[in-house]
Amino acid sequence: MEEYNSGDEAVFNADEVNISVKECIEGVIGGTDYNQNKVNQWTASIVEHSLTHLVKQGRPFKYIVNCAIMQKSGAGLHTANSCYWDTATDGSCTVRWENRTMYCVVSVFAVVL
Amino acid sequence: MSDLQKFQRRERYSHGFRGRTRDSFSIVSNLDEPHHDDNAQLAVTMENTYQMGPYRRMPIPAVTDILKDVLTNYLHEAKYEVEWSQGMTKTICEVIRARVKDLMIPRYKIVVLVHIGQLTGQSMKVSSRCLWDASNDTFASYSYKNSSLFGLATLYAVYLE
Repeated sequence: MEEYNSGDEAVFNADEVNISVKECIEGVIGGTDYNQNKVNQWTASIVEHSLTHLVKQGRPFKYIVNCAIMQKSGAGLHTANSCYWDTATDGSCTVRWENRTMYCVVSVFAVVL
Repeated sequence: MSDLQKFQRRERYSHGFRGRTRDSFSIVSNLDEPHHDDNAQLAVTMENTYQMGPYRRMPIPAVTDILKDVLTNYLHEAKYEVEWSQGMTKTICEVIRARVKDLMIPRYKIVVLVHIGQLTGQSMKVSSRCLWDASNDTFASYSYKNSSLFGLATLYAVYLE
């Protein structure tokens, strides 16, 4: 167990993560309009697919993925996050996506094992 | 080419690019990339503690009370305004994090997420999934609503082994 070499793999790579999250969002809701009946399964699948892709990277991290989908109605929305962790190894990434009828905000937090 | 023409050319290009992506676009913000100090490059070998789990778990009722307390105090009778909400989201985040830290639960890392939004009859869905150790890690959330805005606070606690 002491021989485990962390090296580069134990640092959160935000660029890879935001690319895969963007692809997940586009795959699930790209080209669709806001639909009250389906939004439940949309958020669930965006979050599940993002998590699966993150796990496939095989890094020694615990992940928290949060997704908010909001209908566009001229209303304002503010989101903030605050984290108490080891800044040398842990990181977060937020992706904001929108189309004509809705906003989608996905936040990924990665905490080293 | 004058500077003004260069600027206009860039504007037209960006419009065209946006059209190609089927009228949706995304912005990415990484506010928290891990950064190394030079001292951290030296490998630190920790001695074995033989500790199998946390001695004290994160108390969910106490944490939910903190979330409820902070949200109610800061948002009670408040009216939604753009700049005020921007500052208030960050303030509430910091306050929640400080109060949960004061509980002095050792070896837990904390992530706090706060959403403040205007109520205009729109619909919104927030969901999250976590890949962690279900026996030690946990979360708490609370939502507050008044006549003009809603506030949602979520806290994730991750145990450091």
